[in-house]
Formats: sequence, C-alpha cells, structure tokens
Amino acid sequence: MTRYGMTIDVDRCTGCGACMVACAVENNIPPAHEGATDRTGLTWIRVFKVGQAFVPMLCQQCGEETPCVGVCPQKAVEVDPATGIVGQMPERCLGCRYCMAACPYHARYFNWHDPAWPPGMEKTLNPDVAPRMRGVVEKCNFCHGRWHAAKQQAVAEGRDPAHVEYTPACVEACPTKAIRFGDLATLPKPPGSVRLLESLGTEPKIYYRSSKVDLRAGKEPSRG
Amino acid sequence: MKLRGTILFLAGALAALGAGWLGFPRVIYRTQAQPVDFSHKIHAEKAGSKCDDCHAFRADGSFAGVPTLDKCSSCHAAAMGDTAAEKRFIEQYVTPQREPAWLVYARQPENVYFSHATHVKRANLKCERCHGDQGSAAAPRILVENRISGYSLDLLSMDACIACHREQHKENSCLDCHK
Amino acid sequence: MKNTRRDIFKFAGGAAAGALLTPVPWRLIKDSSLWSENWPGIPRPARGEIRSKTTNCALCPAGCPLRARCVGDQPVALTGAGCAFGVAAHHLPYHPARLRQGPVEQAKAALAKRTPSEPIAVLDLNPGRTASWTFRRAMAALDGTYISPDPNPIAYDLHSVRTVLSVGAPLLEGWGTPANVLAAREKFYLVHAGAVETPTAMLADEWIRAEGLPDPLPRRLLENGPSLAVGDAPGVAELNRKLGAPVYARPEAPVPDAWKKQAAPVTALDAVPARGLRFLLIDESSAVTYIPWHLIEPKLASDAVVITFAVSRGGYARHATYALPAPVFPEITEDIPAAIDQTTQVFRLAAPLVPPPPAVVNASELVAALADIPAAAALRERADFIHMQSPAHPTPDAFWQALVDGYIWRGSPSLPAQSSPTQPRPAHDLPLTAVPAPWTPALLSPLMTKLYEESNLRLPPNAVALNPRDAAALPSRAVLQTLHGKCTVRVVPDASVPPGIVLAGSSPGIRDICTHGDGAKVVLA
Repeated sequence: MTRYGMTIDVDRCTGCGACMVACAVENNIPPAHEGATDRTGLTWIRVFKVGQAFVPMLCQQCGEETPCVGVCPQKAVEVDPATGIVGQMPERCLGCRYCMAACPYHARYFNWHDPAWPPGMEKTLNPDVAPRMRGVVEKCNFCHGRWHAAKQQAVAEGRDPAHVEYTPACVEACPTKAIRFGDLATLPKPPGSVRLLESLGTEPKIYYRSSKVDLRAGKEPSRG
Repeated sequence: MKLRGTILFLAGALAALGAGWLGFPRVIYRTQAQPVDFSHKIHAEKAGSKCDDCHAFRADGSFAGVPTLDKCSSCHAAAMGDTAAEKRFIEQYVTPQREPAWLVYARQPENVYFSHATHVKRANLKCERCHGDQGSAAAPRILVENRISGYSLDLLSMDACIACHREQHKENSCLDCHK
Repeated sequence: MKNTRRDIFKFAGGAAAGALLTPVPWRLIKDSSLWSENWPGIPRPARGEIRSKTTNCALCPAGCPLRARCVGDQPVALTGAGCAFGVAAHHLPYHPARLRQGPVEQAKAALAKRTPSEPIAVLDLNPGRTASWTFRRAMAALDGTYISPDPNPIAYDLHSVRTVLSVGAPLLEGWGTPANVLAAREKFYLVHAGAVETPTAMLADEWIRAEGLPDPLPRRLLENGPSLAVGDAPGVAELNRKLGAPVYARPEAPVPDAWKKQAAPVTALDAVPARGLRFLLIDESSAVTYIPWHLIEPKLASDAVVITFAVSRGGYARHATYALPAPVFPEITEDIPAAIDQTTQVFRLAAPLVPPPPAVVNASELVAALADIPAAAALRERADFIHMQSPAHPTPDAFWQALVDGYIWRGSPSLPAQSSPTQPRPAHDLPLTAVPAPWTPALLSPLMTKLYEESNLRLPPNAVALNPRDAAALPSRAVLQTLHGKCTVRVVPDASVPPGIVLAGSSPGIRDICTHGDGAKVVLA
C-alpha cells in the first residue's frame, strides 16, 4: 500500500490562501460563526506569515509516537498502518480536546458551534465527506474522500486499489505548485528539506524547504 | 401482607416484561411501504431483466443503487402490461416526470463510506449476501424503520462488517470505511 | 385492604426491575445516540451521479479555465481557479448578502419617463465585454454617454522581459492572470518598490522599501533588459517609454463592423460635465474595479436617478435610487475581457452552471431595450463574426458549443501603445497615508472567513492595519477619516506596516473614502 507524504516549497508560497479555501470546500468546513477569531476558527490548513515567508501548516500526519493518538480516551484517531494517514473520526470524538493540547503543531480544530451554512449553500456540500456536529475535534486527513474516490476508480478500471495516486484539494488549488503530494517513498524532496519539530520524534510526513526562514528554529511571532 | 407486596412487585415486573418484549417492538418500529408497488419477479421473468440492468456501476466506479426515473421511463413511457400498479406509476411519476421517493433499506449513517465496486468486483460478493433475495420477490419489502434513530431494522451494523473483514484479513484502519 | 401509596411503589419497583430485563432502556439509549448522530440542522450532502462541466471563471479578467465537479447538475467544487476567490466561486449564488430582488418595474418606469433631452449615461465597471458594446450601441441610439473607468486600457507582455520593476503593484497577488504571472515569474528578475510588506514585496528578488518610483533606478532595470515597469504610480509611463518596454493596447477580439459604426465613444468619468447626468446606469454586476462615490456624485444632476445592477447590497446599492439584482457567477452568460498581461486577442465565455433566481435582470438587455436594440443574442452574433474571421471549427454552431464548454479563442497580437501618465497625488497634512488592499470581487464566498477572520492571512475588508506606534492609543473599533468622509473600521496593529501608513481593507465603505495615497487619520469613534 502506498504511504503518502507531502512536500511544501515555502519559497513558492505567495500567501494567496487558495489552499485554505479549497480545503474548506472539499471537506465541508462551514464559514465562521459570529465572533470567530483566529483561535477558534476551523482551518485544517492554515497559512502563517513567518518573517518574510508564508508557511502553510496542516496536520503533519505523524508516523511514530503520534501524540494525538496516544492521548485520545475514545480511540477516535488512529494511524493507518498501510497509508500512514492519521485518521480522525469526529463521530467517535467526545470533545475533551486532549489531542489539541497534545498536538505539537497545533493542527487540530474544535467545532465550537454546530455548522451553519447560508440557506441554499448546503446544496454545494461535498458528498464524499461527512459534516461534523459541534463538540468534536477535526483535522486534515489528507483528503480521504478523494482517496476513496481514487480507489473506487481503480477498482472500476481493474487496477490495484492499494496503489492509487490522488490529489488533495490544497495541492490541486495551489497556483504555484508549492504543495506537492504523492508516494512518500518516491516523492522528490528538494535539497534542504526539513520536517518541522523533528527532534520530538513524531516522524511527520510533510517536508518543508525554505531559503528565507529557518524552519528548524520555530515560528517567529506573526501579525496580530 | 407481605405476599400482597410481593405479588404487586411481580405483577409490575410481569407487566414491564410484557410491555418491553411484546409491546415495545410494535411501538418503536414504524413500517412503510414503497411508493410504487414494484415487482422484481415480473421484471426478472417477463422482461428478462438482470440485476445490473438497473442497478449498475457508473464509469467512475460509484454504484447507481436505485435507478432514476429515466431508467424506468425508457420502457414504461406507455403501459406495458395491464396491472393497476403500473398504471398508477405512469400517471403519478412518468407523466409528470417526478422522481419516486424510494425508501432505502440499507441507508447507512452519513459518515459511513461503502464501496460497492470493491465488494462486488474484488470480493465477488453476491447482492443477496447483504440485501437478501429481492430479485425473486413479487412485491417490494416493507421498510421497518426505528422511529427514534431512523434506521432500518435489518440494517447491517458495523459489527457485521467487521466480522467479515476480520475473517477475510482485510482489516486496515478507520478511514477505509469512514468519511 | 386499602390500596396505599406503598402498593403503587411496589408495583413501580417491580416494573422497573422488569424493564431492565427487557430491551427497552438499552434500545432507547442506543437509538437516542444513533438519532444524535443525525443531529438536526446538520445538512446531509446530496447524493447523485458525479458529472463534470467546464467553463471559465468570470470573477476577474484572468478568466481561469474551470472544471466544475457536479452532483447531478449542482456544482460542488471548482478546479483550475488561480486564486482563493475562484476556488469557492460556486458559493456566490447562495451568499446571504446577495441581491435577489429589486424594484425592477419602478426603475423601468422611471426610465420610461425620460425625455430625449435628459442626459443619460452608463458606467460600465467591467469594460471590454460584448455587453460593453451593447451599452455603447444603446447610448449612441439614445444620445447618451458610455463611461469607462479606464478608456485606454493597457497590456504588458511579462513573458518577453528579463527585469520587472513593480511600483506598488500587487504583481503576485492577482494583478494579472495569476497563472500567467507565476509562469513568467521564473524568467524575470523582480524588483518591488513599496513601503508596505505585501506578498509581492516579500517574494521579490529585491525590495526597495519606499513608495513611488525609486531614485536612482535599479541598475538591473537599465542593464538587464528588456525591462518593464508596472504600477499606477507617477513616472511609470514615462519610464516604460524610456525603456522601450513591451506595452500594448489591451487587445479586444474582433467586433462586428455594424456595431463599431453605431457605438458611442468611450468617455472617461473626468470628461463628464459636473451635475450633468439625469440618469446614470451603473453595471457593477461583474465589476473589476471600484470608483469611489465621491468621484461619481458630482456628475449627477440634483434630481438624478441612479440605477445600479448589482450582486450585493454593498457597493453602489448604498447610494443608488434603484438597486436591481443581477445574475452572479456561475449564473451568467458573458464573455471575459482580456487581462492586463494578455497581449493577444482572446475570446472566452463563462457559461451558466446553475440557473439564476427568477427576479434578476440582465443589465445589457435592459439598457438595450431602452434603445430598441435586440441584444439577447449579442454574444452569439459576436461569436459568429469571430468564427467568420478565423474558422478553427467547422461550423458556427460547433464554435459556439465549444465556447460554451470553455474553449478559449486566441487571435492576433495587439499593437504597441503608451499608457497615460499618472498624476502625482496631492500632498496632504494628515498623519497617515492610505494604502488600500488589492481589489477583490464584490461578492466573496462565505468561506472567505477562513482568510479574514479565522486566520491572520488577510486584512478583513472592514479593517485597517496600523503600525503599533500609530495604533497605540486606539481601541479595536475606530473611525477612518479622510477628506472624502469617514467609515467605522476595526483596527489591527501590525508591526510589518511602516509608521505613517494605514493599510486599508477592501470594503466598499472604505474604498468610497480612500484611494491610494490619500491622506487619512484614524480617530476614536
């Protein structure tokens, strides 16, 4: 089975935010409620301004010692041994938010409210991803809805569904191809690529490279 | 005197047991009939239809499930037999181009992802294994639905899926079956 | 023996004990939790056959080719957009601020009362479309004026230069066609001159932290040619002339000769006499720019009737006599004008993906009806004319069908031209200089909260960003004041904004009172 990974070229990121919106479209993430702030929002992928660069942050899909998996009292999240994707099950979650505290990348988001779409906009929801109710935690699953569709297409065409290629929404939306996705083993990782907070031993599957900001040094304070 | 107390207790217990085992199932389930009195038997025999004439896979591997009106209209634009059910169907649905609100026996919760393509084409499971023998039924099954949860009585639960997956050593992870 | 309360309790106790041995309590718990999975109010996405439709995005002249993933006929995702706005453009019809109703009959009645001597004008905020030609033909028939925000549009050829000087231009923030600009980016050396830390400044090869044309000019501009300067700052046009930069007239696809003969000339807003207009029709339905109201208002007679064709209640609907609902992308059938970095003729359509609401009006059709010009088939007429000029498809019908499916027709390169010089901004003595945020479409998907409220990536439309020194004494809600008016704003302290500059959001209220370089101050409410 393919293990999936991602590379992000920070030098190419223009901070346009298309990845953030495309993720929300694909994963049925609702618009913000009244009074939402950057601490209470649902942004499975979020672009931060770090010094002179823009850095997209999303769930790093930790492979080893996955912090969120270890702390969940409900077993609502687990690492898929085959694809390496850390699958969050909002339906099992009871909303204790221990995983949000445990995640060193702060890549998990809580539904403070029931999702509300303006009237009519619920027609545009993606049937491949289930909407979540309030009180549960959610996060990036490497667009598992598209992975399902790719596997199904493979079966329809007689190919092996264990090795499929698919494109997550953020990768597809990025106008500069700063975010790339694929088989972790064969995905080209440009020289100088690092993984964030490697010293913690989480073995994330996303490789970043930047010539302008030292990603190993941690985040500089951003605006606001 | 104590006997009276015990008798009352037992009477209460018996009443509860009776209500719980006999009355409750009648109350908690609601039965509903399909909007159209469709006979699989007639279509299989007289029209020579096979399952996948109407319940087919699309090009992207998704399963069409219950067919849309245009499938029925392709043959039933005019009456083909002489049953009252067909006449009603043409009057109420074909002529005004209205999709019948078919009841779905196997509707799973929203967060469940089931791929017919994988189970039919790769696991070679027959339709009857999970859906029962609908093909030879003269009249559509009545849908027995739980009033509170809204799910069908004989809906395949996650335990049933897991049991077969364990047997076939196809157990991977939550995201395989959940969305 | 009397029945006492105790008896009732004993019976109830027995019933409770018995009930525990029945499925009742366990089923009720399980079924309630199953019911809670389908929590009322959480919508269930519609199921159906997944189909694909192609079109072009009409939110800006980039016109990115889009593939719409549809469940049945309903688009649920768009692929191929070059920016955050296009990715969610299929949400626009459902935006809560979207205009769906309006006083159409009253507006038509008001127009019917016009006598031929009363001046009428159309202000077209998306010039270069086929609808623009319909407006021009109608105005010619009615002896009216056709006003364009940019009568001499220019195009720059980014692909043929080796050095680009951006003078405050948002080159990498949707200035042209994002895909084209980014594709050309690898080939040129970019110098950005501007005081504010925009993404273009951050990602340029060289950043000169000062407003206006740099003095001295960057050496690479003069030595590593061909070079080009972009931006609407004073001195840019002259610099391009000196450099011999590839500046062209903005190309337009072929236009039927009959139309050209019967079209009113393109007039600039400045050239309209003061207090001259009795009727003004504004087409802001697919606006690509915004003219502050204080520049338009002086042109109106005291009893002027202003009719605006709008998709939202912001914009000119706040000032107009009648605000009429217009179709919004992806409900429209319209062609997309060439972008600022397209130097070859293009013709491409945005065809509807969903039907518009019943009460909307098409601006060009209503204006054409005033002049008795049949305009409903204007796009088809133009397409047939273009097909006649260069038939790449066997029949006009085949060409039209291809256009509806998103085909992009390309024609001849445009001719060199000069851009008009920009006037220097008047000096001011207010403490801050305003720098507005780059333009955004009038209506944005409700999901834009991801960028504005749920993260710090973009300045919210109704906010201003100030250096902490300038923001020190201010609460989070304050008033932005310029010579043209005031507007309540949210104040966001941001250390990356230089002192003395106020970065203004893109809401119509703010854009009404400040344009680039205006003097401003931010005061307590």
